[in-house]
Amino acid sequence: MRSLHIEGDSVLHRLPAGVKLSILAAISLALFTIDIPALLAVAALAGLVGHALLRISAAEIWHRMRPFALIVVVVALFTAVFSGTTEGLTAFFRLAALALFASLVTATTTTGDFINVITRAAMPLERLDVLKAQDVGLSIGLVIRFVPEILSRYEVIRDAHYARGLKPRPLSIIVPLMISTLRSADEIAAAIDARGIRSQK
Amino acid sequence: MATRDLVLSALFAAIIVALGLVPPIMLGFIPVPITAQSLGVMLAGVVLGAKRGTIAVLLVLVLAAIGLPVLSGGRGGLAVFMAPTTGYLIGWVLAAFTTGYLSQLLISHNQAGFVQTVNFFVAALFGGVIVLYVCGISYLALVTGLGFSKAFMGSLAFIPGDVLKALIAALAGRAVMVGYPLLPQRA
Repeated sequence: MRSLHIEGDSVLHRLPAGVKLSILAAISLALFTIDIPALLAVAALAGLVGHALLRISAAEIWHRMRPFALIVVVVALFTAVFSGTTEGLTAFFRLAALALFASLVTATTTTGDFINVITRAAMPLERLDVLKAQDVGLSIGLVIRFVPEILSRYEVIRDAHYARGLKPRPLSIIVPLMISTLRSADEIAAAIDARGIRSQK
Repeated sequence: MATRDLVLSALFAAIIVALGLVPPIMLGFIPVPITAQSLGVMLAGVVLGAKRGTIAVLLVLVLAAIGLPVLSGGRGGLAVFMAPTTGYLIGWVLAAFTTGYLSQLLISHNQAGFVQTVNFFVAALFGGVIVLYVCGISYLALVTGLGFSKAFMGSLAFIPGDVLKALIAALAGRAVMVGYPLLPQRA
């Protein structure tokens, strides 16, 4: 699984992740208070220029924004048809700018930096005894570690269907997949505890 | 939280991610391919119950937020939380919680198998369809200024597929309960 992070040394790369997230929150609030299409268009353009400064190709930018393009265009068209062209343009540029700025933060921040921010943000919760802050990093690591394993289990179950001349069906794949995966929880938990990774109080 | 519960949540989060990576499943009787990821959200509730199911879904969203392309179609990054459809992602958390809570409330081991399946279906339908769409449609309506009726109409086409997923989740939930019971029981 490749992260959406892009290597680089721009100002955005060097800003601390917490600062970037605060700026993103402030910008998105600001974007919702602005109702002038031209101003929102400038914001969207700035987001686009920001991507260009990361030295990635136009194709790569399109690849990153494609999942959002359709829904943004649909919502803008709906708004334009029912409320007028100005409102449609406002919606289009606002939603495009939001997605572009958010994608910019994702591209310039490493997964590790994000995990550190989340762990720090979870500290107050740890004091309230809701969760342990270090569990966040541990569980993220576990998920990333097991996705490829589950995919190969999926392939094994699917091939077992083919070998018996059966068509793979959602139920006959997902039930054995869940049971065989969740069965390994005891072993994994024992391994984690044996290594003292979660220091028990 | 016991280590085993943490591991179960993490493993289920990995299952949800994997369901977003496998090709959409074709069902024999309807021509529309089904993306399995939202099925995974209902499954988290019916298999793990409210608490662990909710944590599993939260983990998937955290992974998406930190820039991993874990959502179906390779989506990820903070932009998915700044899109008109973000309400459905927030809805996932409540959907998993509601489905899990209702499953724990309605289902017990001494019920007949058919009753359990029906109760799982009720839980998955209420959490995974009603709660999910209330969140998704409200967000779409308020954030884009589209208004509730138009947001509802735009989402209508996806509801039959999700009802079908609730049925699959109910059958799978019952099957896992027989094979490897994990759902917390009321005393």
